[in-house]
Amino acid sequence: MSRVIAIARNTLREVVRERVVLILALFGLALVIASQALSPLALGEGRKVVIDFGLAGSSILATLLTVFLGSSLLHKELERRTVYAILAKPIRREEFLVGKFLGLWFTTSMLLISMAGILAAVVTVAYGATPWSVFGAVGLSVMELSIVTAVVVLFSSFTTPALTAFFAIAAVVSGHFAEDLRYFASQGAPVGVQALAEAVYWTLPHLGVFNARGLVAHGIAVEPERLGFAFAYGALYAGGIVILAGTIFRRREFR
Amino acid sequence: MIARLDRGFLVGFALALLFVTSAAFVHLAARPRLEKVREEELLYYPSGFMVRQATLGYETAAADVAWLRGIQYYGEHRLSDQKFEMIGHVMDIVTELDPRFVQPYVFGAFVLAQEMKRPERGLELLQRGLRANPSDWKIAFEIGFLHYVCRHDAASAAHYFTLASRMPGHEEYVERFAAFANQRAGNTGMAILLWKHVLATGNKYMQEVAQRELRRLGAI
Repeated sequence: MSRVIAIARNTLREVVRERVVLILALFGLALVIASQALSPLALGEGRKVVIDFGLAGSSILATLLTVFLGSSLLHKELERRTVYAILAKPIRREEFLVGKFLGLWFTTSMLLISMAGILAAVVTVAYGATPWSVFGAVGLSVMELSIVTAVVVLFSSFTTPALTAFFAIAAVVSGHFAEDLRYFASQGAPVGVQALAEAVYWTLPHLGVFNARGLVAHGIAVEPERLGFAFAYGALYAGGIVILAGTIFRRREFR
Repeated sequence: MIARLDRGFLVGFALALLFVTSAAFVHLAARPRLEKVREEELLYYPSGFMVRQATLGYETAAADVAWLRGIQYYGEHRLSDQKFEMIGHVMDIVTELDPRFVQPYVFGAFVLAQEMKRPERGLELLQRGLRANPSDWKIAFEIGFLHYVCRHDAASAAHYFTLASRMPGHEEYVERFAAFANQRAGNTGMAILLWKHVLATGNKYMQEVAQRELRRLGAI
């Protein structure tokens, strides 16, 4: 475990070196401007609009950051040949990959939680009451990030950074379309197509599970039961993907 | 080497500047046409269902964008031709994307009923709002309001005011309105009372309408 934590800590340092903290500053500035500019235009709904935009913005930023930082993380290690030095030590390839996953997930999650903190502070200052419920939605987004990170780690274990980014974005998009795919197939499609759609549905990550932004914007708190379910689903799905990534990475030949 | 690099940098910078400036000029030249297109594009505003599929889980943020665009559309036309043909369509999209967003039901219905003289369409929007938010007293109250003021249907107004008065969080005046409507179906006193309430609590636009209506009824 200590070996995994060491790799995770190193990944965290590597990601922070990419000046991701700048994103926090830009996010905060954008929110302050939005709260001032949108309020008069929103006909009394400024608070809701700022919370909506803040949650959507933080979630999109964290997802993109995971995809673009994560897709080159493993590739850099291979390119600089640092991976040889690390794997020459008593550490298994799977442990190396799990460390990478945990480091990236922890960093982007911290960034997401910090953005939620900035959002809560801006809303409190601009509109009075603190929107505590945003942290429930962010908790769900953190679990969504675990799946996105796992998918990124999976593809980066055997493809190029560009393909990893492409497949990860495709997984995020299709993960949000999973329910619709199943629904459309159920509307009169042949039995074979329905069975195929059903199989694809259960294979794709159900990212809709992690979306409580609509509730939170209306001041409705996320129920602990839903948080628990999303946590369990996220942990299991991400765990499965990381195991698959480890299996592939173990067989990978370095040149 | 440095001189070559500087020259390369300057050429690149100049090219970038040229492209961006050209783009600005193209935009400037096309502005009259774009203004027209902006108007036309609302005609092709897709349905809320289609937009929902494309938002990838960010429906409420998309609803906010549509809401802000709808308010702008209303403002632009209020200052020009007083025609609001697309407002119902835009509010339909906003509420399909975010069915819990109460203000678009109320505002949309108000514009449809008061500005466009289409109270049935306004009531349709509010009814959809009540189905999505069955315990929101404001929507039930607005339905009562439109029944009384636009359709002069005191019985329906009384029904919805009473419904609103039984919902959690309602203001104290709702019960008064329910009692009044039930008791005195069919007089203008209720309309004056309702408009006075709007004058006291509504936003700037609603206050303007209330003032106009109260003047028409000889109440101010």
